[in-house]
Amino acid sequence: MVKRSFIYAALLFLLSGLTVRAETTAARPFVFLPQWHPQAQFAGYYVALEKGFYKDRGIDLKILRGGPDRPVTDLLEKGIADFCTMFLSTAIQRRSGGMKLVNIGQIMQHSSLMLVAKKSSGISSPRDMNGKRVGLWGADFQIQPRALFQRQGISPIIVPQTTTMNLFLRGGVDVASATWYNEYHILLNSGLSPDELNVFFFHSYGLDFPEDGIYCMEKVLEENPEACCAFVRATIDGWLYAFAHPEEALDIVMKVVNENTLPTDRIHQRWMLGRMYELICPVLPTLASGGPADVPYMQGRKEPSPAPQKGCPMGRLEEEDYNTVVRVLTAAGLIQEVPRYSDFHRKCESDVQR
Amino acid sequence: MEVIAEKLDKALKLKVKGRMDAITAPDFEKECAAWIEGGENDFIVDLGELEYISSAGLRSVLITAKRLKTNNGRICFCNTTGMVQKVFSISGFQSMFPMYDTLEEALAHR
Amino acid sequence: MFRDKGLAFKLILFILVCTVSIFGVAFAYDYYTSRDTVLKNVEENAANLTLSTVHQIESILKSVERVSLNTAALIEQQSFTAPELVSLVETMVSRNREIYGMTVSFEPYAFDPESLYFAPYTCRTPDGRIRSYPPEYFAYPYFYWDWYQLPKELGRPVWTEPYFDEGAGNAVMSTFSTPFYRHRDGGNRFQGVSTADLSLEWLADVVRQVKIYETGYAFLISQNGVFVTHPHTELIMRRSIFSIAEERLDYRLREVGRAMIRGERGFVSITDFVSGKKSWLYYAPLPSSKWAIGVIFPEDELFADVNQLGRQVLTIGGVGFLVLAFIVAWIAQTITRPLRSLADTTVAIAHGNLDIDLPEFPSRDEIGKLTNSFRDMRAALKEYIQNLAATTAAKERMESELKIARVIQMSFLPKQFPRLSHRYSLEISAKLEPAREIGGDFYDYFLMDSSHLLVTAGDVSDKGIPAALFMAVTKTLIKGMAEPGMEPSTILEKVNRELCLENESMMFVTLFCGILDLETGEFRYSNAGHCPPILLPSRETPAWLDTPAGFVLGVDEDSSYETSGIFLAPGDGIFLYTDGVTEAKSASNNFFSEQGLLELVRSNGEASADELVHTVFSTVTDFCAGVPLFDDVTILAVRYRGTKHPQNGGLETWK
Repeated sequence: MVKRSFIYAALLFLLSGLTVRAETTAARPFVFLPQWHPQAQFAGYYVALEKGFYKDRGIDLKILRGGPDRPVTDLLEKGIADFCTMFLSTAIQRRSGGMKLVNIGQIMQHSSLMLVAKKSSGISSPRDMNGKRVGLWGADFQIQPRALFQRQGISPIIVPQTTTMNLFLRGGVDVASATWYNEYHILLNSGLSPDELNVFFFHSYGLDFPEDGIYCMEKVLEENPEACCAFVRATIDGWLYAFAHPEEALDIVMKVVNENTLPTDRIHQRWMLGRMYELICPVLPTLASGGPADVPYMQGRKEPSPAPQKGCPMGRLEEEDYNTVVRVLTAAGLIQEVPRYSDFHRKCESDVQR
Repeated sequence: MEVIAEKLDKALKLKVKGRMDAITAPDFEKECAAWIEGGENDFIVDLGELEYISSAGLRSVLITAKRLKTNNGRICFCNTTGMVQKVFSISGFQSMFPMYDTLEEALAHR
Repeated sequence: MFRDKGLAFKLILFILVCTVSIFGVAFAYDYYTSRDTVLKNVEENAANLTLSTVHQIESILKSVERVSLNTAALIEQQSFTAPELVSLVETMVSRNREIYGMTVSFEPYAFDPESLYFAPYTCRTPDGRIRSYPPEYFAYPYFYWDWYQLPKELGRPVWTEPYFDEGAGNAVMSTFSTPFYRHRDGGNRFQGVSTADLSLEWLADVVRQVKIYETGYAFLISQNGVFVTHPHTELIMRRSIFSIAEERLDYRLREVGRAMIRGERGFVSITDFVSGKKSWLYYAPLPSSKWAIGVIFPEDELFADVNQLGRQVLTIGGVGFLVLAFIVAWIAQTITRPLRSLADTTVAIAHGNLDIDLPEFPSRDEIGKLTNSFRDMRAALKEYIQNLAATTAAKERMESELKIARVIQMSFLPKQFPRLSHRYSLEISAKLEPAREIGGDFYDYFLMDSSHLLVTAGDVSDKGIPAALFMAVTKTLIKGMAEPGMEPSTILEKVNRELCLENESMMFVTLFCGILDLETGEFRYSNAGHCPPILLPSRETPAWLDTPAGFVLGVDEDSSYETSGIFLAPGDGIFLYTDGVTEAKSASNNFFSEQGLLELVRSNGEASADELVHTVFSTVTDFCAGVPLFDDVTILAVRYRGTKHPQNGGLETWK
């Protein structure tokens, strides 16, 4: 009798031990770090977390607060973050420089970067920027502008641009850098009207670099292949849900914003979410028509459009796009060795295509 | 019927125009009576434009003649034509009253 | 439809419409003018209030600016060592209460060629003490912060956009930053900036003091339109006026915001984005920092008094109209009631009820006068009808009497054939048609003795009853005076003398009198002013009978007459008539005339007396068909047939 109960107890212990081990291997917490402050640029992730999409796929996820004080490549390399987002151009450079990071999902299919000038400055084409003061951000954001200047054969005066648009607003520079989803709307919210601005999208000048992608270290991918792809798929679910339920998505985003006492508001986030939709699914009205004046501002448009268009290849990195970026980087002398596409990108994209 | 009175220095000339019948005869009578009241008593009646006279007209003439007579006056006629002349003739008035062919003749006999 | 409505309705409608319109216009004018006046006053007050607040704020801002500017000037003038610079910054902060913190930050290696960063900083602690940070403390690239980059790139001192300072407990701050330069390498080179931080908490207090009515308030926006102060603190630093406008799709608000950051001054009507109420906004710039202050007044409070007054006036007006309507209706009633009863009475009168009583209205006004007139009219009408009835009755009586008189007069006239002895043969026929019921014409024939027939025809002057009476007298006189063997002229003279007696009315009668000797056929005749008869010789053309002239009977008692005579052969005749025949007028104003009569008689020369009379009479009647007879028509025809031979015996007529 005692032997039997002992055997049973041992068996029970073994079993529980096994299950515990199974739980520990399955319940490894993952950390995701977005490359900037919490905002609708990362709505998909916050929504997926809030709606439990990660949990449903067996991922215990924590999202860190991103910002200029937390460079993603550092934290990724150090292993503090398992997943992060960064620009494709940045990632290629890092990979070429030896960092073993992998693209497991390309979220933003297009470039949102642009140059903005006031119509009153007389700059109506890139040629006009020659000799003018142009505000550019850090290195990662200078690839496309410098390529453009080189192609156009112009030499503007480069002025470092930081986190505000005030230098441009007060006339300290003639041209400023901006993203379509963020700084452009900040200009509108500071009193400038679309018909007072001339805009130059890099995607119109053959420099359509896909931007945000999901990256992790090769090691993390090798150790947790299903988890990594599950992360990507849950993220894509999160984006699809956000586009279908914009107000709810905005609620979630604003909650995170307020937790971090960031000076932004729902109106700005709504604009951002709308532009993210355009950049993530390849039906950009700006691409089709060529200018933001065709995107009605203050005309009560519901943001974003109801359902993603058919054929929205979420998460897929097209080799062609990859090569575009590689070509520019090579021409600019920013990379020596060209990483192989197959090494760089792992297909994890969703089978959830609507 | 119209009665146009004209005071001449010798007499009162009354020119009668139109028709003297039972309706208009009293007007002639009244007109003459007024003149008699006013003191006239020498009447020359010019019938040149009188177209017609009925027995009532003749009566008015008689009454006027009688009134003049009582006032020591007199009456004569001139310029009778056509039918009126015939009536005057047949009825014997022609022989009763002085009849002249023209006004001048009548005046001359004053 | 409108025409059918009563007087009361029309009166009320017109009067009320007019008074309502007039009142409405006056009220509207007064109301809107009052509002304008209030608004103008408010604008003035707002302007004053705003400008004094602006002055208040500006004085502080200016004092802060002065510190930064002075520091920059000092650094340009002199060289400072690091401790001296730190001490300078400290002193500036401690001496100037308004300033929260200060720094002097240099370009890379500009202060110390070994040192990339150099930025000593001093600020206040919450408990009021000063805390200094050594220059190397802030070893981070501050070069790209707004407070550094803006003055550097713009080349002039700037106020930065307000920001949250975590170090200061998340207070809202703004920094005034002045660039300073040194003469180096042949030109004025930018060396760095001198800043002064200003906590904007006190700004919120100052702005909160601005009290407008109960629910009005003031707010401040930055150069980018971001709310710096606002009663709703959740808007501060998080929302800009443009993002609010975008949220509400309020274009007007956006334009107002743009005007504000352009540095304009204005007074506009907007929808308050907080309360949603229609409000008025006065805005003015803060010149030094290029921010803008706005003061909002809710319109309902603004116009509360005017609106209340307006409501009261409208109520008074409304009540007044009701009263007016009643009064007008009552007055209309006093007019229409008598009119209506008068109308009813008139209808009754029109139906024949002349004895109906008119309504009694003792008033002396128009209605009373109308009623009295009606009463008089009714009495007159009654009298008139009575007179008319009497007159008609009298007239009818007269007519019937005239009818009788005609019968009597006609009966005077001989109708029967004279009682001739068988020896003589004669045709005689006559017809008399009076112009009125009774007339003045007559004819007569009678045997004076067995062989003498007297025929006469006459015409009394005038017509009607007087003529008829005169005619009766004359006829009777002729019959009375005529004696066998008397000459016709004698008869006339005798009758004349009688008629002249008592003849004031100057009536006269024309008369033709003839005596036919039936034995011999001699016809002796006399005339007193009558129209001459027509002689009808057998087998010869009828012609006028030659008649002696003679004056009419009844005028001159001394008139004398003549007798003429002719012999009638058997078969000869005489045609007598009165001037009613020859003076008969046709519808075309033609006279029958003597000529016409002669011709007619000539064309019937051989006719018998009856036939002749008949023919002439019907011709004359036809001639004046459609025209009433003017004068009596008398026709008499005699045809002598001679004596009969005894051997023939009986009545034979010779042809």
